[in-house]
Amino acid sequence: MSRKTYKQRAALFSWVLFITLICFFALKKELLFDSSIFTLLPQSDQQVVVRNAAEKMTARFSNRFILLFSGSDEKQVRHAVSVMADGLEQSEYVGKVIWQLPKAELIDFQEELFPYRFTVLDARVRKQLLAGEYERVRERAILRIFSPLSTGKIAVIDDPFGLAAERAFNSFSALKIGLSNGLLKVTAAKQPTYMLSTVLTASPFLPELQRGVLAIVDRHKAQFAAQGVTVSMSGMLMHAAAGAKQARSEISTIGAGSLLGIIIAALLVFRRFKPLLLMLIPVGVGCILATAVTILIFERVHLVTFAFGAGLVGVSVDYALHFLCERHISTAGVVLRRILPGLLLGLLSSVTAYAAQALAPFPGLQQMATFAVAGLIGSWLTVVICFPLFTRDDALQPLAAAELFSRVRRSFPRVDQSRVLAGFFLCLLLLASVFIWRSEGRDDIRLLQTSPVQLLEQERHVQDLLGLGSSSFFLLISAETLEQCLQEEERLAPLLERLREAELFDDFQALSRVLPSLQRQAENERLTGHLYQGELNALYDLLKLPESRASEAGDRFTQEHGNTLTPQRWLELNGSEGWRHLIVSRSAGSAATVIHFSGAYNDQLKVKLAELAETEKAIYLVDQVANISHLMSSYRLQIINLVVAAYLSVFLLLFVRYGREVWRVVLPPLIASILTLALLVGLGQGVNIFHLMALILVLGIGLDMGIFLIETDESPYTWLAVSLSICTSLLAFGLLALSRTPVLHHFGLTVLVGLSLVWLIAPTMRKA
Amino acid sequence: MKSIVLRVILLFFPLTTYAELSFQELAMLSDKPEQLQGRFTQEKYLSVVDAYLNSSGLFSYQRDAEILWETKEPVQSKVVLTPTAIVNRQGEREIVSLDSETNPMVGVLSEIFFAVFTADWNRLSGYFAVSGEQANQQWRAELIPLDAVIKQVVSRVELKGDTLLREVVLYESGGDYTRIHFHELSR
Repeated sequence: MSRKTYKQRAALFSWVLFITLICFFALKKELLFDSSIFTLLPQSDQQVVVRNAAEKMTARFSNRFILLFSGSDEKQVRHAVSVMADGLEQSEYVGKVIWQLPKAELIDFQEELFPYRFTVLDARVRKQLLAGEYERVRERAILRIFSPLSTGKIAVIDDPFGLAAERAFNSFSALKIGLSNGLLKVTAAKQPTYMLSTVLTASPFLPELQRGVLAIVDRHKAQFAAQGVTVSMSGMLMHAAAGAKQARSEISTIGAGSLLGIIIAALLVFRRFKPLLLMLIPVGVGCILATAVTILIFERVHLVTFAFGAGLVGVSVDYALHFLCERHISTAGVVLRRILPGLLLGLLSSVTAYAAQALAPFPGLQQMATFAVAGLIGSWLTVVICFPLFTRDDALQPLAAAELFSRVRRSFPRVDQSRVLAGFFLCLLLLASVFIWRSEGRDDIRLLQTSPVQLLEQERHVQDLLGLGSSSFFLLISAETLEQCLQEEERLAPLLERLREAELFDDFQALSRVLPSLQRQAENERLTGHLYQGELNALYDLLKLPESRASEAGDRFTQEHGNTLTPQRWLELNGSEGWRHLIVSRSAGSAATVIHFSGAYNDQLKVKLAELAETEKAIYLVDQVANISHLMSSYRLQIINLVVAAYLSVFLLLFVRYGREVWRVVLPPLIASILTLALLVGLGQGVNIFHLMALILVLGIGLDMGIFLIETDESPYTWLAVSLSICTSLLAFGLLALSRTPVLHHFGLTVLVGLSLVWLIAPTMRKA
Repeated sequence: MKSIVLRVILLFFPLTTYAELSFQELAMLSDKPEQLQGRFTQEKYLSVVDAYLNSSGLFSYQRDAEILWETKEPVQSKVVLTPTAIVNRQGEREIVSLDSETNPMVGVLSEIFFAVFTADWNRLSGYFAVSGEQANQQWRAELIPLDAVIKQVVSRVELKGDTLLREVVLYESGGDYTRIHFHELSR
């Protein structure tokens, strides 16, 4: 064995060992799919208090899900709820199932608030007391006592004015839910509809959890459907599972598609199986290594990274094809030496283009860049290390396809010979530039949405029926103490009421509506005192009850003086459960509460609240959707800068080697990119961040092409290799353009158009 | 809260002479007059003060449209119930007005309420267990709420009647009760 072969074998052995080790460690870590929009995004530059609130709200949405059961037959619906609850309680991933009021907790929620009837007042009663309309409060008390529709008990001594009953009757729950025979009934629904809500014990992204919980839900759902009971669901779990499922199916479709493309193209060109098998090795190694490295570095692999990574197959095949084609006309000893500069430059330019992405503080981009760089290096090393050894004994054998492709290429007019063509390109470029310049970016969060429309509609349906406030749009009130937050909310309340009356939203949920500030409670008690002084005797006269009883009621008021509902006491009440999440933080020296809005709020509300947040120091408007759109727009601009910077550095690198001939390498992908962008604008898609990311790929493959060609002096075999490579990429990304995930669709379409243009433009810039 | 529903439902329900002891049979026999009106006297016993509060007035109902409950003595007041709202009036002034949009509870009330007047016994039977007896032209029925929450407010309801419902007594868990007597009924 020659020394050279020995060295080659040693390198091969180390390489295999290295890959095995990496895979071993990666396999020990569990693969978690992620499809959440938020993990794609960078840590926001918002203040800590705002970020905490946003995270808490998102987490609340993540770790629970809600099921609504409806049907025309109430008994069937009620039965379905209990069957589903039984089923879910069996699962280890479900911590708590809330669907009925346990018998032990049957003490009316209103009873526990009875001691605070003088301090926590109904809004209308308070308004009348403030206006000094005491006799109207008395009139209502009389009406209630005689009405056949009296609400709640009549406690003539403890509460002759029925303050507790007033508050109870107008009390609003956090959700549009009422108790019906012990179950939770949705009040706003037309058909009998009941709610079941659960708290998960682990992340909704955990595959076992998704399988375990959804199997129970789906099994029962099918069973109930036969009984005329429909089940709708809301929660991150549903979206996470759908995202993971879609990722798996799209990865396999796209992966299989591009693989099939490679196989057909390779068989047509090489007419043998060995080159085909050889091609698949670096592609496979690249994918495995990319996946392993990504898993090792990141906690969860986002579905977008994965689907994007599946397309990497197309790029990594470049190196293999280049080697294999060249090997047909060069002997084993010289082939690598001949093409190594080209391979190296190709790798360098692609890695530069991708590494530029990693500089953006955008976790999604970083993950994709890591995946791409690891995959490319893996494929490249596999070609360089293994191929000389594997093809050692292959005979030289000219390929008919090379001649055919070369003829096609030579039939293109050349730019440096045809002024018409040069002028045509120039005009086209100018037109395209103007077109792009005048277009507007599109930074809509819906681009990031991975869930099918049907699921999103189901989600909205459930949220609307329950009157759930959005977890991504709310006001945040921050102060030193909870008492200050509550006072601030109370100061804000009249304004919010006005906005509600102007129908900017349906309703708002604020803590101060159920837990008034201590300051307000003291004021309420003073007002109640005036009411007792002025109206108690008159009330008893009307009821024809003795005066001694009136003084008994008066004494009761005095005895219970100072019975205030402190936040601590309130937290201990059963009835506070549905409201506690409105307190975002409460620690020494700082507290924060949120105000939610429900119903279809409009943009006018956002403007009004934004104005408010501008002027008030303690109030922040948190609008995750706007934040994300804003972030996407800023990263779109950042990526443009990065692409330009990457392009310039690649240009410099190539200029050093090729001098003035560099335009033949750089122009085809550049022109193709600009024309693609213009075309996308023309299609009305608006340029978004994902188009730009795809263009980086177009640049990578396009530059590879130019470099390989110029390095081998435009050998027909190089042209064959790059054409084959583009062909396989087109197949892979063409399928991506069919994806239902908007991100992948935009990405695929851009690469499809871009690469086709690169292939058409490149021959016009050939040397001879 | 549910006690309101109960009271309203039971007050106006016109029963036939041959009232039977199950909802199913009641459903077959129950008369559904388009409208009904008359007078009522109401006696409320308050155990805390060991005293009776008496009131009286007029009532009328239009099937599926509205129910009017007008107290004349000792105070003047009107309560109007429609499928979607409960409005309390004193003179021309609206004292309390609730609709199913602003108060979801009202939605539930009117749902059950109109179930009664369309004789939807199937829905009602989800709320009560019934027992009773019959002698000559007189009958007496007792309804026990199935729902523990309702039961905490109204422990038991007694109905008495002949061709139509004549008396309703609502027993509350605290020892209070309300006895309503109907007379001068006309269709």
